[in-house]
Amino acid sequence: MNIADWRRRMDEIDKKLVDLLNERSQCALEIGRIKQEQGLPIYQPARENEVLCNAEGNNKGPLSHAAIRRLFERIIDEARSAERLAMHPDSSDEGSK
Amino acid sequence: MVIVMHEGATEAQIQHVIDRVVSSGFDVHRSTGASHTVLGAVGVHRDFDHRDFELLEGVREVVRITQPFKLASRQFKPQGTIIDLGRGVKIGGDEIVVAAGPCSVESPEQINAVAEAVSKTGARILRAGAFKPRTSPYAFQGLGEKGLQLIREAADKFKLFVVSEVMDLSQIEMMGQYVDIFQVGARNMQNYFLLRALGEIQKPVLLKRGMSATIEELLLSAEYILSGGNYNVILCERGIRTFETYLRNTLDIAAIPVIKKLSHLPIVADPSHGTGRRDKVPPMARAAVAAGADGLLIEVHNDPDHALSDGAQSLTPVEFAQLMTEIRIIAPAVGRRIP
Repeated sequence: MNIADWRRRMDEIDKKLVDLLNERSQCALEIGRIKQEQGLPIYQPARENEVLCNAEGNNKGPLSHAAIRRLFERIIDEARSAERLAMHPDSSDEGSK
Repeated sequence: MVIVMHEGATEAQIQHVIDRVVSSGFDVHRSTGASHTVLGAVGVHRDFDHRDFELLEGVREVVRITQPFKLASRQFKPQGTIIDLGRGVKIGGDEIVVAAGPCSVESPEQINAVAEAVSKTGARILRAGAFKPRTSPYAFQGLGEKGLQLIREAADKFKLFVVSEVMDLSQIEMMGQYVDIFQVGARNMQNYFLLRALGEIQKPVLLKRGMSATIEELLLSAEYILSGGNYNVILCERGIRTFETYLRNTLDIAAIPVIKKLSHLPIVADPSHGTGRRDKVPPMARAAVAAGADGLLIEVHNDPDHALSDGAQSLTPVEFAQLMTEIRIIAPAVGRRIP
């Protein structure tokens, strides 16, 4: 395969990633609504740690555990933001700016 | 706001900081580094006090990204503020406006002699004090309202505008009859009651930087006046206290371009108070013009050796005329002019 072939393959994966990330944020939005109803805090460090440990546990490389952790930290950041938006729909989405 | 955690900060400490950021209503971007964890807080309001986070355990440094001043910031008015005094004199335009006069008005003869001399050589504003709060309570304290009348009469005679220092809010109404610009002295830069009161009038205010004030504190003081609705604020660099004691103050010339970038407000320099020495005034005045100052405040006395205050830093009319000749040459080099 040449560079163009590999890039096409990457583009296909990216498309799936975007769909999966959005599917994941949809879950976060739902959780945000439930947290709102039940008066639970957005930030739950134990759960975030669990997500990071799961990600590392599922990691078969070539990305290092640290790299997976950094990527998932960003995913979690955005999920937290999505939950905040679900709980306070009037607040602006500063994270997207 | 960016929060840098200490090397070796515990997970519990990091979680506590994240919790505080989230509960303050901000988003967090966490980056776990090899040695330091960095937390980016997104959506922080301008008036949020970031210092609360510096006190949290495990926090090494908090860096604020947004400016705490809003109305004074350059973003608020990118083109810059021009203050029109009338008769074609504008501060913040292409003309460098020079205010000159004695530290304090002493007699009709004195103020008239100085006003005549400085008006002939290009000054637009007569500067003189009527209330002189001196470091020593036993020193000459000024002529008060009588002095303001004398300044006004001399200014009118030679078509000059008047700037004089207001010391207290009780003086604003009375002084308004005599002055075109209210000066707030360095010692009053953080007199927030006075600043608020000056925000409620429309006359221009010349706000001097306190001798121990940072540029940000000066701009926050201006914010007090602006937030009251008075947009006619002129900033003034007049020297700050540093470890250098050779001169009375260190004129912070670099503050001029810094303020020009941070704020839309005009900035003038006062090399007389900035140095405290007559022979150092012209070089610093030339430097201020070259650095982009919108104007100068120069102390001029017809008989400096017998002045009742600040004689050592006052130029003679002849020295002032020489200085005007010099800055008239410098001004075009930086795209400005002096009449």
